[in-house]
Amino acid sequence: MTEAKKELEKVKKEIVVTGNEKPQVGVYVCDCGINIAGVVSVPDLVKYAETLPDVAVAREYKFFCSDTGQNIIKEDIQSGLINRVVVAACSPRMHEPTFRLVCKEAGLNQFLFEQANIREHSTWVHMKDPEGAFEAAKDLIKMSVAKARELKPLEVKTVSIEPACLIIGGGIAGMNSALDLATEGYKVYLVERTPTIGGHMAQLDKTFPTMDCSACILTPRMVDVARNENIELLTYSEVVEVTGYVGNFEATIMKKPHYVDQEACTGCGVCVDYCPVVTGNEFDLGLATRKAIYIPFPQAVPGKYTIDMDNCIKCGICAREDVCEPDAIRYDEEPEYMKVKVGTIIIATGWDLYDPTGLKQYGYGRYPNVIDGLQMERLLSSTGPLDGKPTRPSDLKAPHSIAFLQCVGSRNFREGGNQYCSRVCCMYATKQARQYKEKHPDADVYIFYMDVRAFGKGYEEFYESAGKNYGINYIRGRIAEVSEGEDHSIIIRAEDTLLQEPMELKVDMFVLSCGLESRSDAGEVASLVRVQRSSDGFFMEAHPKLRPVDTLTEGIFIAGVAQGPKDIPDSVAQAKGAASSAATLMAKGEVEMEPFFAVVRPDRCIGCGMCVENCTYGAIELIDDRHFGKIASINQALCKGCGACSGNCRCSAIDIFGFTGEQIFSIIMGGEL
Amino acid sequence: MSENVNKYIKRKVYKKTSSRIAQKFVDAGLQEIRACINCGTCTGSCPSGRRTAYRTRSAIRRALTGDESVLKDIDIWLCSTCYYCYERCPRNIPVTDMIIKLRNIAVEEGYILDSHFVLANNIFYATGHGVPATGENNKKWRDLRESYGLPPLPPTVHSYPEAVKECQELMKAVGFKKLMDNAAKLKEERAKAEKKDKEE
Repeated sequence: MTEAKKELEKVKKEIVVTGNEKPQVGVYVCDCGINIAGVVSVPDLVKYAETLPDVAVAREYKFFCSDTGQNIIKEDIQSGLINRVVVAACSPRMHEPTFRLVCKEAGLNQFLFEQANIREHSTWVHMKDPEGAFEAAKDLIKMSVAKARELKPLEVKTVSIEPACLIIGGGIAGMNSALDLATEGYKVYLVERTPTIGGHMAQLDKTFPTMDCSACILTPRMVDVARNENIELLTYSEVVEVTGYVGNFEATIMKKPHYVDQEACTGCGVCVDYCPVVTGNEFDLGLATRKAIYIPFPQAVPGKYTIDMDNCIKCGICAREDVCEPDAIRYDEEPEYMKVKVGTIIIATGWDLYDPTGLKQYGYGRYPNVIDGLQMERLLSSTGPLDGKPTRPSDLKAPHSIAFLQCVGSRNFREGGNQYCSRVCCMYATKQARQYKEKHPDADVYIFYMDVRAFGKGYEEFYESAGKNYGINYIRGRIAEVSEGEDHSIIIRAEDTLLQEPMELKVDMFVLSCGLESRSDAGEVASLVRVQRSSDGFFMEAHPKLRPVDTLTEGIFIAGVAQGPKDIPDSVAQAKGAASSAATLMAKGEVEMEPFFAVVRPDRCIGCGMCVENCTYGAIELIDDRHFGKIASINQALCKGCGACSGNCRCSAIDIFGFTGEQIFSIIMGGEL
Repeated sequence: MSENVNKYIKRKVYKKTSSRIAQKFVDAGLQEIRACINCGTCTGSCPSGRRTAYRTRSAIRRALTGDESVLKDIDIWLCSTCYYCYERCPRNIPVTDMIIKLRNIAVEEGYILDSHFVLANNIFYATGHGVPATGENNKKWRDLRESYGLPPLPPTVHSYPEAVKECQELMKAVGFKKLMDNAAKLKEERAKAEKKDKEE
């Protein structure tokens, strides 16, 4: 050990606080650049702080969160001047950990620190009323000093982390997170709502800008997921309940009945030939049909059949011995529930396509030859309902002219529209236009756009060649309205804004490049796992720049379009980021918890049992104490520190560490208790 | 929500705008004009523009960028205020209100069509009617009324000539007369200047 370190150790030992000596509070008022000092006089706040009881020192500095600022506090602690720290600055959200660490490094218990938020709670909100802001800042400092005088040293609680991850959603994002975590050796539960993994990417024909066949790059990954022994694949399942906290979540998963024994089914497909019920096919977005017993698409993983009980007429044909040789049909199957214990959760629930029915002027749902972008994708796909031949819905003939309209539902500030840009539509329309040209070189293809956003690697080049080599006509103008002409053609009215003239154009088919939306049930998922959503409906990241895959709930991460519209490479990148963040947490093996749990004062408790009823977490029970008789006892591993017991205790016998009765009352009374 | 809280939630509006005409919009609380992304939905939707040279988006763009010739452009008077553009604008701009405001500015600065001026200043001010029932041309309407046993003139200011004065007082009170006088003055000055230019 070096001399300096030895010296530090010595100093540390000298300043350890037991909590019983006279409090000596150091108050540090931060300028925060001009955020605070630009509104109120910080020197006057310092002068005021010096007059408060038990304040040993009060200081001003430009940024106490800087290294120099931190050292000022450290020196005061180490010189024995103070044993309680109050920093009057910003919100504790960002810098409470910083200053706790300062205390810890200086040898002071980190819970002898209190932060007064005079920025968000005073100078920011009252910036037009400096005098009022000054009074508010004074009160906030007074309250924090009052609480600091009552602070007691506490020890952090560590809990172990279950080395397993629950991933909600089996699209390209969820699959990538699952594969990364499984390769690192963590157990993964991959829950997918539909009968197959693959998500929306399975519906796509090709991917821009490289024109890779979507299925060709996706299906090997799907197989990898199914084969990986660390991944427990739970398709046709939904998460119905999540309890617990970081490191120790417990999730209840409902396995919906397939009505086909998934072990026994060989995927031979004979049942499909015999099933008499024909219904719309979700995978082809209503452009094709399927039977009541089905697999979503040929490469589905797992490739086992499912009966759609909403449409099944229970005729019993598929259960016949000569139809299902392995005898896999189970009409009476019930939902199964399973509980899993995981340390982390990744939400990768994906997106819904904007429904353009509400935009009446575009005729979607009214005219057969108006389709949305995903339907166009299925029409172009070689595995689609018409094997990718150039066709239009009304007469199954090849349309000689196609128009695409961009920003449908996106960049729309009207009610019912999405204000954000969906990021992928410019490129998917360009890709579809090029694909159509390849299939039908004589066709006229128009793209009506407001701006073309070709932001990704290779995208601008892709866009350039769409004009130069493919002859796709880009017309700058948002289509105002369409009507139907003879033979189900579509007549478009728009302004060519670059010519500044209104125009009319007759085309054979009209494609709406609809934007991406959050899942219609994202709100339910959000409340299930207790994460927040931003105003656009997508799940909210902890910080838009620096913590884009974390949520504000520790241990829960987001990946893919669930967080916001993005293309496949970005979804994969974020999925890998989320997997890495989850692994970082789980690799540590344990996580520190704030010791803010309830404690019983046995001398006051009369054992009435009110708290036992009030505790939602089942953390309290009545015990027979050798000295005090029947009293309440709290299991700290289960306690969340919510305070329900403390608030309801008629004898004031329960305290919450960090928020004891004395502390709260001294805040209210401003130290004049 | 209390006004106090609202004050902080409402985003600040920076009122300074480089174009003189756009500044008038912003000062009147119509800063939405600055949200236009020139998508052309308004022009494409316009039933008037389909038959005339009126181009909604161009008119708004010229106002926004400070092209003052838009004020004397007679096309801005061809909007029929059908509100198609208003209903479809993806930026939620009250487009029709913008065109009406543009016309207000034009009149303030003396750009008013002769027919409108005569109607507003002479006929409306003098008779209290936009379409007066007096005069030779409207004799058949008076006859029609009589054939139904009605008095030839309706029970408006036509029947009560003393009320014309009240109408005129009202028009003065709301500043209409002043607006028209100012427009007449500016028109005359411009005509003189033009004549002088020609002579030179």
